[in-house]
Amino acid sequence: MNVTSLTCPSCGTPAEGDSNFCEECGAALGASPPPDGAPRVLVTEAAADEPSPIDDLGSGPISRATSQTYAPAPPAAGIPACASCGGEVGPDGYCEQCGVKALSPRDHFREQPAPWVAGVCDKGIRHSRNEDAMALSASPDGSGAARRAVLVVLDGVSNTDDSQVGSLAGARAALGALVVPLPVGMGTPEGRLAAATRAMSAAVDAANAQVESAAPADAANPASATFCAAVLEGDTLTYANVGDSRIYWLPDGGEGVQLSVDDSAAQDQIEAGVPRLEAETSAQAHAITKWLGRDSQGHEPRVGQMSITEPGWVLVCSDGLWNYASEPAALAQQVAAAATTDPAALALALTDFANASGGQDNITVALARVSPAPAP
Amino acid sequence: MAEFAATVYQNEFLPDGGTDVNAIVTVTCSGAGTAGAAGAVGSGAVGEIIIVDTSGSMGHETMESAKEGAQAALAEILDGTRFAIIAGTETATLAFPPVQAGPALAVMDASTREQAAGAIAGFRAAGGTAIGSWLDLAGTVFASVPEVTQRHAILLTDGENGEQPAVLDAAITRATGYFQCDCRGAGTDWKVEELRRVATALLGSVDIIGSPDEMREQFRAMMQTAMARGVADAQLRVWSPQGAQVLFVRQVAPTVEDLTDRRVEVNALTGGYPTGAWGDESRDYHVAVRLPAKAVGQEQLAARVQVALGDDVAAQGLVKATWSNDSELTAKIDKQVAHYTGQTELASMIQEGLAAKAAGDDATATTKLGRAVQLAAETGNEEATTRLKKVVDVDDEKEGTVRLKKAVDKADEMALDTASTKTTRIKK
Repeated sequence: MNVTSLTCPSCGTPAEGDSNFCEECGAALGASPPPDGAPRVLVTEAAADEPSPIDDLGSGPISRATSQTYAPAPPAAGIPACASCGGEVGPDGYCEQCGVKALSPRDHFREQPAPWVAGVCDKGIRHSRNEDAMALSASPDGSGAARRAVLVVLDGVSNTDDSQVGSLAGARAALGALVVPLPVGMGTPEGRLAAATRAMSAAVDAANAQVESAAPADAANPASATFCAAVLEGDTLTYANVGDSRIYWLPDGGEGVQLSVDDSAAQDQIEAGVPRLEAETSAQAHAITKWLGRDSQGHEPRVGQMSITEPGWVLVCSDGLWNYASEPAALAQQVAAAATTDPAALALALTDFANASGGQDNITVALARVSPAPAP
Repeated sequence: MAEFAATVYQNEFLPDGGTDVNAIVTVTCSGAGTAGAAGAVGSGAVGEIIIVDTSGSMGHETMESAKEGAQAALAEILDGTRFAIIAGTETATLAFPPVQAGPALAVMDASTREQAAGAIAGFRAAGGTAIGSWLDLAGTVFASVPEVTQRHAILLTDGENGEQPAVLDAAITRATGYFQCDCRGAGTDWKVEELRRVATALLGSVDIIGSPDEMREQFRAMMQTAMARGVADAQLRVWSPQGAQVLFVRQVAPTVEDLTDRRVEVNALTGGYPTGAWGDESRDYHVAVRLPAKAVGQEQLAARVQVALGDDVAAQGLVKATWSNDSELTAKIDKQVAHYTGQTELASMIQEGLAAKAAGDDATATTKLGRAVQLAAETGNEEATTRLKKVVDVDDEKEGTVRLKKAVDKADEMALDTASTKTTRIKK
């Protein structure tokens, strides 16, 4: 995504004067453009080598503008309803009905780019600000072979400067990188994964550039964040993560599975034989071993792919949710309890569940509802 | 153009499980202009009525000083203001303008001022006292000129009302919300409680005019204040969240007036309370709201306190609640809240103490007036301390140990009573 100095790289608001930060969202303006290997280049290469099966133009490089047939959800306009009671929020920032302080659009936001894809990003109860972020896009129709959804979640590290700015700008930059169809390489499973890994790495690079530029140059604790993305194209789910935000596949009525593998001290312990519950509740459980940011030691994502043939849910979430339901079965139980096929309703229900369980951290829940495969 | 501002003083922190939020809201009006001035808020015509007791009890000296007082008030009424003079006995008589039907308020100018002065000069003391009928006539006179929307009266009496209490109460009810009325009692034969009932309901002041030579100055001051009220009518509004309970709404400065029961519904969550006309001044309100307790760390709005002119909100103060388990934060009582809680108790201690004394219950009177002395000292209300010392001998101000004085000037006792609701502001 090319950034001009005239608009905010994070929210797109036109910048005024010589200000260094966006008046709207606080993101740093004039952020460095995406580094080499950014999505535009990648897509051009991939498309030139190997026409994408999804490329219905069938010739020439896919330009970004024509491939983006659906737009990311625009930022919510006006003042959203009270998150507590649904009442109208007054101009003084408090609910007209129940008096609860309205969450700022950064503290609680919801997106639903299509009826089958939705997410909630919430401050939780204990934290003073929301450093989680998400960015979603989806094709209007979620049932056909041409369906496509991108779910990106970044969890800004809470003891760093401006990570709430970096995580949101990073999530949107990653979405921008992933909004074009993933390359398929030579078409073999290995080639396909390798090509997808390159695309995911580029998305991580794009996000990383935003996270790095979020904090001032002299920040003592520059912003850092996790990265987590899932791309569903037809029946193929591609997922990638850096840090401890997670991707789950939760088929209806079946065994769920955690697809992502955390880059965390807890995961290291689990791999060394410590039981999951013990590892994830230990003092160092939330220490991540890989992240995005200026002080990162590298941010290569773990990337995987799977084929989805059953109906169910793709869930991308931050630890604000999985802290209270880490095992896929525990999450599946909460999903079953919500008894809905509406992703917006389920995202809210899972957010409410995490808040009701203590809301110790920011909570992000992004969901794609995968409906039964249409009859061939 | 008048401007209002609202400032909130409170400790917003509640302990875990805490429910009651107290706040003092200072409402300040500036740039009010003069009553009836072009462009004034709620711009309607202004009507003033001077009601003078002309009953037989007045006696020659009081009657003459009352006439002087009425003349002084008359002199303060601005040209162009609608006005009338009522002479009160066991019935009410429209002394000026001399009309039998139609508009009963004259427009003030040099000529009507002189004619009205002549009517006042002709007052003769005779007959009884029927305050209810005076209020009713004032209401009728105001109603005869519909364009008058800012209505204010001054009422002077020297004696106890001759009507049945229910008759006076009914008249007060009819006048409530229609016109404002400042009340003065001359001498010591009138009942403070009776006149306070009138003044409180009609958003006015009550005071004693102990000696005839104070008459002129008191009347002049009352009318000057009324003429400086460029804002015809303002409503105090208190919004509280669903499930909350407004415990009370009190004006606490310059005087204590409980407004709780005067709530009119603005909407399901908002109550409106009358405050009458405003000049350039500042008044303090104590608002207490009970909320359902929330989890530690939660923040919410406990009340929006607004000043409304008609349908327009002119100022708003936010009263908040934040639950915390930091006892350093939650244990503090806001200075303003503590001060006015003391001043409100002071007012009721004085009134209850004097009522007990009048009923011959010296033990209760001693306890209550003792507590009053203590509170007056604690809250720095020197005027109350001075007045209390004319009624009781103070042994220990800090402990509130007092003895009732053997001989008390009736006027001093009544002055203590009428001034009981006057509060002092905290020294900031």
